[in-house]
This record gives sequence, C-alpha cells and structure tokens, in this order.
Amino acid sequence: MTDFPVAFPRPPVKVPEDYLAGLICTGGLGMNTASSSIALLRRTILRAAGLALAAGTLPANPGFAASDEDNDLIERLIGKKASESPRVQLLMPAVFGNGYSVPLTLRVDSPMTETDHVRTVHIIAPKNPIVIVAKLQFTPDSGRVAVSTRIRLAEPQTVLALAEMNDGAVLMARAPVKVDTDGCA
Amino acid sequence: MGSVQPRVQAPGAVARDEVFQVRTLISHPMETGLRRDSAGNPIPRNLINKFTCRYNGVVVFSADLHESVSANPFISFYVRAKDSGHLVYIWEEDGGAVFTLENPLTVTA
Repeated sequence: MTDFPVAFPRPPVKVPEDYLAGLICTGGLGMNTASSSIALLRRTILRAAGLALAAGTLPANPGFAASDEDNDLIERLIGKKASESPRVQLLMPAVFGNGYSVPLTLRVDSPMTETDHVRTVHIIAPKNPIVIVAKLQFTPDSGRVAVSTRIRLAEPQTVLALAEMNDGAVLMARAPVKVDTDGCA
Repeated sequence: MGSVQPRVQAPGAVARDEVFQVRTLISHPMETGLRRDSAGNPIPRNLINKFTCRYNGVVVFSADLHESVSANPFISFYVRAKDSGHLVYIWEEDGGAVFTLENPLTVTA
C-alpha cells in the first residue's frame, strides 16, 4: 500500500517538491501505526524533507487559513461543529496542474469496531460551484478508512474532510490545493 | 458517448479478518450540467450519483458522488474479510440506470 494517492491507472508523474509539503498538510502530525519498516523509513524521510520545506519556504497564506466562512459552511451542511484532528488525514497534492482530476486520499485512524468507527465522511470543496464533493459511508466491516479518488477543483482552495464518528463527534482535516485549470468548467 | 464500462480489482482469495483493498473504475463522463457545448447550449447533467459495495448482500461501503468527482470515477476502499461469498459493486446513474459487477470471494481460515 503506497502513501501517495494512487490514480488507477497511474500516470507517470514528476513529484514537485511542494507535493511533499502537501503531504504534511493533514489535520496534525498523525501517522498510521500499522506499516512495514520500509514504508516507515520512507515516510520518515518524507516527513523530514517536508518539515524542512514547510519551515523554510512555505509562507503564511491567508487564503488557505481556517476561516469563519468554512465553519459556517460546515455547520450549514451537517448541522454540527467540526474540530481539527490528526486522526483524519486528507492527502492531496499542494500544487497540481490539472483541475479536472486531482487525486485525493482520505484516511481516518480508527479501529472500525462496533463501538468505535467512522460513520460518514463528507468531502467539501468550498470554492467549487457545487460545494459537496462526496459523502462516503462506512461500516465496521470496512476494516480501514482509506479511500482514494479523483476530484475536480475550480480554483485554488482548501478542501475539507469531515468525519462523523459513531459517537457523534465530527473530526476535520484540511488540504490546501493550488490548481492551474478550472476543472469545473 | 462510449459505453459505460465498470472495472474492479480485488483479490479473489483472502485470509479471514484480513482487510483488503478494492479498486474500482467506471468509464463515465460525469457531466455536471454546468458545461455548454460549442453552440452555447447547456449539456445536460448526467452523473453516477451513488456507488455501493455489498458483501454477501450487506452494504459495507457506499459513496454519494456529486458534480465535483472527476469523469471516469476511480474509487478505492477497504473491506474486512468475513465469510466466503460475493462482492457486488453497484453504480447508479441519474435517470435510473444501474451498472453492476459481481466477483466471488474465497475466505480461507
């Protein structure tokens, strides 16, 4: 299992350095615990590279910061307040040319037992003409929450993932993405 | 528009309680209804609006898809193996058309 979002069939892609920084743009510093040693080593190297990039080169971009509009939008869409959590990881490239097909991987760190599992995940693109991208529904028999897909983005924005847990809590992750083309046109 | 063709990659045999990955792809234009053709007329909306995976009849994963999902939607997800049986994948289109694929699954103890 790869750590990068997998497009199927996978096109040959040169990984821009912002992509590594984008991998760190999860809800926090969460990591999957179940992994092979090679995957762990690779992730450690990527994290070190990404942290160096993030510390050195990423300027504060107010366009991608948490905004009251996002929180209002979340409350309007699902009727609850969401809190950022490192358990939810929305992995998207920080910079991607083709807005028609931006890879997205959604992971939630959850044991998926009857008493502790993810029920629903809403993927939201606040700047798209139609804001709700997908609503993913899971059961404990899903085993693991790790979904990959490809989405359209109309303009650079911060994509949101809202995970509703079985106890009613809503956890959130955000991924800022810059696209060069309007994928919704 | 070409024919709508679904494809699935999933293991045929797994161990009990193993969590395995399923990768699905369906060729479909996912017309949002927001585009216009060269004459300026709006192209009608035509989306795959729901994907469901049933394991021995029980839904284990489903996704409501909207306009922002790319054309030829690719969805990969995970399923925990319980009993041998069938995995059925169902794509529902606006207007009622349904596309399905069914694959057997052997679960060894």
